[in-house]
This record gives sequence, structure tokens and C-alpha cells, in this order.
Amino acid sequence: MAQSTTHARDTASRTPPPATPVDAAPLTKKAATRVPLRHRLRRDRALLLMVLPALLLLLVFNYVPLIGNVVAFQDYDPYIADNAFQAMTQSPWIGVEHFRHMVEDRLFWQAVRNTLAIFAIQLTLFFPLPIALALFINSFVRPRVRAVAQAILYLPHFFSWVLVITVFQQMFGGAGLVAQVLRDHGHEGFDLMTDPGLFKFLVTFEMVWKDAGWGVIVFLAALAAVSPDLYEASAMDGANRWRRMWHIQLPALRPVVALLLVLQVGNALTVGFEQILLQRTAVGPTASEVLDTYVWNTGLDNGNFGYGAAIGIVKGVFGLLMVLGANKAAHLMGEQGVYKR
Amino acid sequence: MTPNSLSASSRSSRRTFLANSGLAALVVAGGAPLLSACGGSGSKNEGTTTGKKLKDLLPAYAASSLASPDIPAKNGSAAGFTKALPASALKVSVPQKLGRGGEFTVMAPIWGNVPKQGNPYWTAMDKAAGVRVKWQNQQGDTYGQKLGAVLASSGVPDAVVVPGWELTGKIPSAIANKFADLGPYLSGDKVKEYPNLAAIPTGAWQRSIFGGKLRGLPMPSATTPNIAPFYRTDLFEKEGLEAPTSAQEFYDLCKQLNAPKSKVWACGDMSWAAWNIFGVLPEKPYYWKLVDGKLVNRYETDEYLEALEWSRKLYSAGFVHPDAKAETGSIGDLCAAGKVWMYCQDLSDWYGKAAVQRVDNKKFRMEAFDYFAADGGAPTLYARPPADIWTFISEKADEKTVHDILALANYTAAPYGSKEQRLRMYGVEGVHHTFEDGVLTKNGKGNNEVFSTYEYLASPAPFVAYPDLPDVTEGMVEWQQRQGAHTKKPLFHGMMIIEPTRYTELNAEFEDLEKDIVRGRKKVADMQQAAADWKSGGGDKLRDWYKKLLDETGATGDSAS
Repeated sequence: MAQSTTHARDTASRTPPPATPVDAAPLTKKAATRVPLRHRLRRDRALLLMVLPALLLLLVFNYVPLIGNVVAFQDYDPYIADNAFQAMTQSPWIGVEHFRHMVEDRLFWQAVRNTLAIFAIQLTLFFPLPIALALFINSFVRPRVRAVAQAILYLPHFFSWVLVITVFQQMFGGAGLVAQVLRDHGHEGFDLMTDPGLFKFLVTFEMVWKDAGWGVIVFLAALAAVSPDLYEASAMDGANRWRRMWHIQLPALRPVVALLLVLQVGNALTVGFEQILLQRTAVGPTASEVLDTYVWNTGLDNGNFGYGAAIGIVKGVFGLLMVLGANKAAHLMGEQGVYKR
Repeated sequence: MTPNSLSASSRSSRRTFLANSGLAALVVAGGAPLLSACGGSGSKNEGTTTGKKLKDLLPAYAASSLASPDIPAKNGSAAGFTKALPASALKVSVPQKLGRGGEFTVMAPIWGNVPKQGNPYWTAMDKAAGVRVKWQNQQGDTYGQKLGAVLASSGVPDAVVVPGWELTGKIPSAIANKFADLGPYLSGDKVKEYPNLAAIPTGAWQRSIFGGKLRGLPMPSATTPNIAPFYRTDLFEKEGLEAPTSAQEFYDLCKQLNAPKSKVWACGDMSWAAWNIFGVLPEKPYYWKLVDGKLVNRYETDEYLEALEWSRKLYSAGFVHPDAKAETGSIGDLCAAGKVWMYCQDLSDWYGKAAVQRVDNKKFRMEAFDYFAADGGAPTLYARPPADIWTFISEKADEKTVHDILALANYTAAPYGSKEQRLRMYGVEGVHHTFEDGVLTKNGKGNNEVFSTYEYLASPAPFVAYPDLPDVTEGMVEWQQRQGAHTKKPLFHGMMIIEPTRYTELNAEFEDLEKDIVRGRKKVADMQQAAADWKSGGGDKLRDWYKKLLDETGATGDSAS
């Protein structure tokens, strides 16, 4: 993988590009377009048939529901008609009223602030951890030790959030293990679970415990793709462990890191739902309300579907802009990002 | 509240009301549903129903005389039954199967694991009532969110159970839009086809009128407080302690008992009890009182702020168990385990905890202490609505299905002492329960299958019957009766009021704010600010809306004075 990256960068920096195999691709593509559609359909029908179910699912679950976005511009009442579509045709239009309300809505902005703060903390404290863990696991030579380490790290991923939060409550809650040990030694008790000031770190901490091990998988795969020849060659040149990591392993991880970063940034406004909803009362909405829980509370609980949809649209547009921006940044740094130009 | 006493009182109050407001009834055009000042899209459903229209809608009452309770109802309490009869001595309440074998779907909340479709309990119930129910059980804690989505779809089940606490947002208008008018089947003497439904107290039926039509099959409830402050009587006696009788005494007691070092805390979250101790008005729509002819809302009263302040003090002094602060786990279980001295919860916990704990500890006793006013005098308690859970029938259900659902409701509403009630509450003898030496015991299968699902379909006048723990039954009913003596009716008591949808979000923030304040995350002054925002954000308009409703209905409650 390290080789291919260097290769790609080399070709990109040379101008004009020489006739390399990479350059030959557009030619074959052009040739392919000359084959009539009918022939191509016949030729690829097996492939097309295989794609069809996935395409249908995408259509039914991702594209048809997009129609529902019209309720963001309505005073939508789902109960006035027999089904959602009829209700949409019968609900009065109110233009951008929901969006205007959003600008003035103190609670909405509170949710935005919390969401972005949690995102920033997750990005700095959570994101690098799986990379470090992958390097750590990769350093185990004996496969058995490696398998055990992986199993232990993956396990918490399969716990539900309810369970994770209960475990944390038992450990760090006001009546938990840590607090009790402190009290036994004459100190004040301590309650991490109900401290609004530390909540954003708490959710990140919980996320690290639950999912950092799981995040290792993709990085381990990238590391596995590194040819052993490179290690051998560098060892021959007298590179120590540190240098091997710096010059071989980290460059090998670079495209994956860039890809995941772009995706992560695109999801900046999605910082966890169930986990946060479950701990809402413990710290109060001022510290814990994020966009997703706010949409849940106003849209579903209070039945203001139109406003919930409007927030969803804003969130989607923001996410799209973030992906485009991050991808652009990745290109500027010479990475592929999510897609090529 | 016995069926007899309730209906007598509500009938007489209705009669006085009619006498007082003969003119008003004329003004509202024969008692048509009262409309709000300015109509929105859902305006046809807003307001309440009174006068002749109401009288025409309500089913005629015919008391059931199947069994006389060991403790008759008084002061709005339930009736108490302390003895269990052997199956042979049970009476028949539904002599003839009314169901015609139709199949229908019922969506209902459930707290626990959903029993398997086709289990012996459901099969026996269906067979006995002559119907075939396809249950769609949903977890009770998240029922509201499911309900909102299901009602918005085109696939509304034939019958849907809706608890009163889910009547938020647009749900009330959804009920008026999506569910059938049961008037043609039940109003007046028509109800006599279903004798057990005719024995449901009239007050409960009045609360079942949505958008000017009788739509709900009610689950009647006692009008005494449902939240009880529990304490471990056995432990108190062992320590030579007595239950507190004033807010200060409660605080001092907490100070004495609190011992976090030994993992024991004085109490759970007491804010629900605080509403009663400080005489705070109930929740919407009974959250008004008349002061010098002006409507004052719960959020504007001093009592409300005082109750918050007191609950807050308990938190800041460290008396409240950390799990209660984080709202995780069951505080009731902690109290039963001796880790918390006092907590407040639904009255049913009295039986729930005793039934579990007495298996191992025969001396276990957990009771509720009487409410007191903050200064130690008699408390001001507000009556609860006489019904707070309903079953509605889909508008699309055909006549035969409606009949079948009503037949099942008639079966589930059979009173204590009947064969039908025994089957509903305890399942099949030998399969789900055993009866030996006058003691009725549910076995493991019974506990797993015989759940409170059918009772939501309509139940008889409120009663408490735990023949396995007669002292608990007595304790519960007597507690209700003692509290009932201090209970008065809030304004609009018993009426089903649907607020205009534009006001539905007005008080959405208050519950979060209450929790923030008592837990010390916000100041009591923030609540005053929120109340001011509420006023300017529509609260004053809502007040005008209610004032108009008040003038038109002539409702008084006991709180007008």
C-alpha cells in the first residue's frame, strides 16, 4: 500500500503525465462507450441483476423517504389524514417558517454547540486511539497473543449502551466503586456520572472503552498489507523500531486515516444518540442535548415533525459541505479522500 | 372510590352544574363541543364537552353487585378485597359469550417481556371472551414514541391502548381523528348490552370523551394521590424512629439517617412527594386555580417554587442516592435492600416490593407515610382524574369488530369475585396459579404470562385485591382513604380538555427544568424566568382560552374558593 501511494503521488507531480498504464484508462473507457447500450446491457446483465436488489433497497429506504422532507416547509400534522402522503398534501404550507424559528431557537443553538464540542473532543481524544492500538497489536509477534489481545479489545463493542452506562455508573457513579474507595479513605465522594462540566469527556471516555478496539480492525488490515520486504530492507539499513513505524507503518496507514477523517468530519453533527439520550437526565439538557436528541424530543416526543425535518435538512446540508470541504483538504494534502476529482 | 359513591357524586355534581348553567348550556348551542376563540386546523377537537351533549353521550350507569368489598371505598379510594374465594365460589359475570369469534389487533404497552403468541393465558382469555386477539405489545417506557408513529401511519391497529401521560403534543387531536365514535354502541341505555361496561363509574366515562365524541374505553382509577412516599416500617421500628410529619422533620430525619460511607442514603428523588407536601397544582389540564377571579397557573404559584426549593435542598445536602440523581436503576429496589430509607413511587410498589421481599424475609414491611403540609398541618392534595388509561377503537374497524372488542372489554371489566376476573388476573388454575388453604399463588408461568395487558381494555371500578398479602391491601386502601380526606378537586376536574395544538409545546421545557433545578444545575430563579417566558410566549393567551372555557362550562372544582 505504501508503494502504491508513493507511486500515485509521483505520477501526479509529473507534468505532463507520460503514457503510463494509469493514463491508458481513459482510452479504454472511451472505447467502451462505443459499444451500444443494448450490447452492454446484454453483456453485463449478470452483474446488473446482482446490483438490482441493493439498488432497490437504496431507492426504497434512502430516496423515497427524501420526499418526506417537504414537511419541513409545512405545518405538518400527520394525524389529519389516513396516511403520511395524504397528510402531506393536506397540511398547510408555511414556507421557511421552521428555518426562521431555528435561527431564534435558543435550544437549537445549545444543541449545535454541544454537538460540535463533543465532536471536537471525540476527534482529538478518540480518533487517534485505534491507530495507536493497531500499531500496538501489530507489534505482537506471536499470533496467539495477538488474537487474545484483539478479542479483549473487540468485546466491549458488542455491549449495548445501556450496559456500558450501567458499568460506568457502577464504577464512577456517586455510589460506585471509585467513590466508595475514596470515602473509605476519608475523602469526599465523587460522581463523574452527574457532572455536567465533565459530561462531554465522559461520553468520549465511554466511547473509547466501547469502540476503540473495534476501530482497530481497518487499521490492522492496512498494516497487514505492508510487504514484509520493506521491514527486512529497512532492518538491513539499520532502522530501529521507531524508524520503521515512522517510515513504513504510518505512511501505510495514511490513506485510510485520511479517508476515515473525511467521513468522520462529514458526520460531525452525528455524535451518538442512544448513549446521550440515556444520560440526559443525569446531567441535564444544557450539557447533553445534541442535535439528534433535540430532533427526537421536539420532532417525535412533542409531535413537531415539520420542525424536526427542518433541523434534519440543515444537518444534512452541513454534513455534505463538511465532506466536500474535508475531501478538498485531503486532495490538497495529496490524498485520495473519499472520491477522486 | 366505589362505583356507587363515584357515580352518585358525579351525577349530583353534574345535576347541580346543569341547574346552575341552564343558560350557559343554551349559549353553547345545546352543549356542542366548546370551541376555542380562534380556530386552527384541529379546532373541531379543541375544548371540552359539557351540558346536554355530555349527558347524551355518557353511558347509563348500572352498578354491579357481584361481591361486596372487605373495605368499602371512601374519599375517592379504591375498594379493598382481602380474601380470595375458591374457584367454585366465584360468580359468573358474563353468562353468555358476547364475542362472535372475530379476529382483531390490539396495540398495548407492556412492562416486561412479551409473552409468546398463543400462550395458554391468551388462548384461555380469547376463548372465554369469544374473540381472537392479535397482540402488538410495545415496551411501556418508550410507548409514546411508537404511538406517535403508529397513529401517523395508515395501519392503525383495531384497538389501541393510550395512557394519559402520553397525551402530549398532537396525540389528543390524533385520537379525535383516528378513532371511532363509540356513542352509537354505548351512550345512554345502549351500554346495557355490556353490563360490566355499564358498571364503570360515570366519571371515568366523562374523561373518555375526545373531540365531542365518546371514544375511549376507560380504566377507572382512584382519585386519591397515586404517588406515595414509602419508608421501611420494619427498619424504622427497629431504630425507634417515627415517620416525619413536617417538611423540616423530614429534612432532620434525612440528616440523621444519611450515611454514604456505609452506602446508605436517606432518600430518593422526592420531588413528586414535594408537589403534594406543598400543595402544588396538578399537571395539564388541571393546572389552574382561581385567585380573585383570575386564573393562576401551576408554574406561577409560590407553592411550586417552594416545592422545588425543598427538593433541591435534599439534593444539595447529599441526602439523595446518586442513582436517583443519575436516574438509573430502581430506587425502590435499593429501599427494599435497605440502601435508601425513603423514596416515592406509584402506590402499587407497596404490593410489588412486599410480594418479592417476603419470599425471603417474612418480617419485611414497607409502608407509605401520610402526606403533611410543609408546616406540619393538614396537606392540600388535588384529586386525580377518575380515568387515565383508555382503549380506543380504530375508525376503520367494521361494526362486527367493534362489537367483538366491546365484548372483550365487557369481559375484562368483570369485577372482583367473578370467574372472569380470576382468569384475567391469575390465569388458569393449575397452569398459572394454585389455590390452597385460601391462599392464591401465581407460579412462574403465571408471572411470565399473566401480565397486565387485558386490563387496559377496560376495567371495573377501582379496587385493590391482594388476598395473598391482606395487610398490604388494607394498608394501601386505608392510606388512600386517609389522603382522600384532604383531597379537593382541581378546576375542570374530570373533564377531558384538549388544548389548541399551537399551545402544545408551551410547557415542554418545564419537566427538564424541574429536574435541573432540584439537582442543583440551575437556580430556582431560572424557573421564575421560565414562567415569565411561558406567560409572554403564549401562556397568557392560553389563560384567556381557559377563562373562556371556564365561563362557558361553569366548572368550579373545589379550588375556586
